[in-house]
Amino acid sequence: MGFLAFEPLALSALALLAIPLTRRAPERLQRIVLPIATAVVLLVAWHAFAVATRYELRMPGEAPRTVDVFPTPIQVLPAFVELLGDGRLVRYAIASLYRVLTGFALAAALGIPLGLAAGWFTRVSFAADPFIQALRPISPLAWIPISILAFGVEDGAAIFIIFLGAFFPIVTGTMTAVRSIPVAYVRAARNFGLDGLTLFRVVVFPAALPQIVTSLRIALGVGWLVVVAAEMNAINSGLGFLIVDARNMGMRYDLVVAGMLCIGLIGVLLDWMIRRLERLDEVRWGFSKV
Amino acid sequence: MPQPAKVVVEHVTKTFRRNDEELIVLDDLSLVVEPSEFVCVLGPSGCGKSTLLNMIGGFEVPSRGSLTIDGHPVRGPDPRRVFVFQEYGIFPWATVVDNIGLGLLRRPTAERERIVAHYVDLVGLKGFERSFPSELSGGMKQRVALARALAVAPDLVLMDEPLGALDSLTRLQMRAELLRIWKAERMTVMFVTHDVDESVQLADRVVVLSPRPSRIVDVVEVALPHPRDIGSPEYNRVKNRLYERLGVRHEI
Ligand SMILES: Nc1ncnc2c1ncn2[C@@H]1O[C@H](COP(=O)(O)OP(=O)(O)OP(=O)(O)O)[C@@H](O)[C@H]1O
Ligand SMILES: [Mg+2]
Repeated sequence: MGFLAFEPLALSALALLAIPLTRRAPERLQRIVLPIATAVVLLVAWHAFAVATRYELRMPGEAPRTVDVFPTPIQVLPAFVELLGDGRLVRYAIASLYRVLTGFALAAALGIPLGLAAGWFTRVSFAADPFIQALRPISPLAWIPISILAFGVEDGAAIFIIFLGAFFPIVTGTMTAVRSIPVAYVRAARNFGLDGLTLFRVVVFPAALPQIVTSLRIALGVGWLVVVAAEMNAINSGLGFLIVDARNMGMRYDLVVAGMLCIGLIGVLLDWMIRRLERLDEVRWGFSKV
Repeated sequence: MPQPAKVVVEHVTKTFRRNDEELIVLDDLSLVVEPSEFVCVLGPSGCGKSTLLNMIGGFEVPSRGSLTIDGHPVRGPDPRRVFVFQEYGIFPWATVVDNIGLGLLRRPTAERERIVAHYVDLVGLKGFERSFPSELSGGMKQRVALARALAVAPDLVLMDEPLGALDSLTRLQMRAELLRIWKAERMTVMFVTHDVDESVQLADRVVVLSPRPSRIVDVVEVALPHPRDIGSPEYNRVKNRLYERLGVRHEI
């Protein structure tokens, strides 16, 4: 037992050694080794914490037994296998993704045109901006009761909440993007006789696009944060539901942690996908120093 | 019959409000520019050169006085008189051909492509048609801006320090290029600069402005044929006179 308690610490020390050892290594190697070292340190810390919080339970007339409060990393592995095996993980992940992507698409479809209009036309901004600013600070989660009242405990409720969470970053981001277009671009366009929709299509929209893409990225991140919370409160499926359900039905904290890790992993994947937009010719100019 | 003047600036005054006080930028300016003339506007920084050009381009309105082009009061921007900006002129999201074709969007595609190809050739950007501005050098970007302006066949080109951001060698090359195009197209050019040499190399006439509140101190004719010999006595005479008018001695 003493050896087992010692081994993780040795592992951690070994991982920390990677920092001085890779100082002269090529960057490509550093990129691989250093995050692995961090992962080892984090896992060891987690393991140590889980072990330290175990306690002996002595009930009269029973043999004393060790109670695990938190699962260790090793205990979470079978939880993954269990979730994959009974198909829950895939089913719930698809349910969550469907809600996020639908809410996000609706938010973009409404938010981008409204943001363009409010950024460009002062009169639209006068009319809409105070309400956008007043509604924006209300957490999307505060809308959960209203949302359930309107849509029931259904996909609609979650989609609506995600829509709200994604809509405001997109509107305000697009609005700011339009307002920060250099005057020279607009002057040049007007000088060459561009007006109306052509001016929008040829100058305003492309000039604002890099910042719009950034706001989409933020909005998708918010949507993914919000879906879990919405599912924990209002819905009976999805990764958020998986987490509350695992706790409520039998204190399965190993499943809770496995669910959390999946949420993080899918979040990274979503962000990676939307970041690929930044490489398109139409927006690349806005992300590189010229 | 004498040709009517291209640009007539009559008693134009421009003021801006700043912290509740009036800032007089241009003070009672009068100037006539003839068709096909190349006029440089020279003056110290902040004297109102850009403001003057912006008013002629239709982006600003004079506070007092009148401004006419071809006998008509200026009412706003117009593709017949195009502005070449020092920076931010061309669109970073569009390719070279899309930038140059900006003023030709209403023309049929075939005609647009033909005109764009002609100007790509004229400014020496063949082979870079599909490039984005971030892939071009400073001088190439400025040539895109120039081609874009010329493609709409303007009869007046307004240039606000168009070569200011370039290194001295590229500036020299671009000046020669500009003169070559001007001789071919015969448009009227108003060219703002604060570089004395640049104005003597390019202009038929140089208009010298004083510091704010700005007035015209002098209008100097440069009676030298192109290409100009920058070692000639006349060149130096004009140059000295300009330095003197600007109130600086150029011997160091
Ligand atoms: N929109 C504006 N509002 C207030 N003041 C302005 C505005 N535009 C210009 N000015 C002022 O007018 C003066 C002249 O500006 P302008 O840009 O015309 O100078 P310039 O001669 O082009 O200078 P530079 O050579 O540095 O480009 C400056 O003092 C500037 O602060
Ligand atoms: Mg200026």
